[in-house]
Amino acid sequence: MLILTRKIDEEIKIGSEISIKVLSISEGQVKLGIAAPNNVEIFRSEIYQKIKQVTIEALQNSSNKPKDLSKLRLNNIRKLNNES
Amino acid sequence: MKINTRQFGEIEFSPELMINFSTGIFGFENLKNYLLIKVDDDFFYWLNSVEEPEIAFPLVGVRVIDDKYPLENEHEAFGIVTMNPDILNISINLKAPVYINQTNKTGFQKILDSEKYPVNYNLFKEE
Repeated sequence: MLILTRKIDEEIKIGSEISIKVLSISEGQVKLGIAAPNNVEIFRSEIYQKIKQVTIEALQNSSNKPKDLSKLRLNNIRKLNNES
Repeated sequence: MKINTRQFGEIEFSPELMINFSTGIFGFENLKNYLLIKVDDDFFYWLNSVEEPEIAFPLVGVRVIDDKYPLENEHEAFGIVTMNPDILNISINLKAPVYINQTNKTGFQKILDSEKYPVNYNLFKEE
């Protein structure tokens, strides 16, 4: 792992198209500004790990499909949208 | 081409039916080519890997439960489903939709920024 020290407003470039800037530092938190092309996905690592875990669980449970689906009633999401 | 799937046994298909995921599915980035399979009376779609045919993700089109779900142009949004013998415990990942264009045979997965989409939303409810 490469370790670099940067001050506020200083940047790191990864390749020619990605740059990460330190915007502020306070109370154990660092705020970063990231500029990257649209096709580069950026997300917090723990969210990526969570998605990966859920996907693996989906795969492991794929044969647990219930035999009787006749009673299915979809859980429409309108409620979820209105809450926000 | 022929592959031996877990869900459907051996299936034969023409290569132009393959859907290309250039960046893969999160956690399965090495798998790039899939078949999107739906059997007539089955409620679920199956996204079956061509490279590793025993891998198949059950999917549901998100629009069936949410008509306001974020669109990606020309792509249909699907959620990966976690099955459960109890229908009320079946969940769908709304946080990381799988977008598929069935015309030009491309697909990609995305993580939505919005906090309102959970990774395990209950797909069904009681009568």
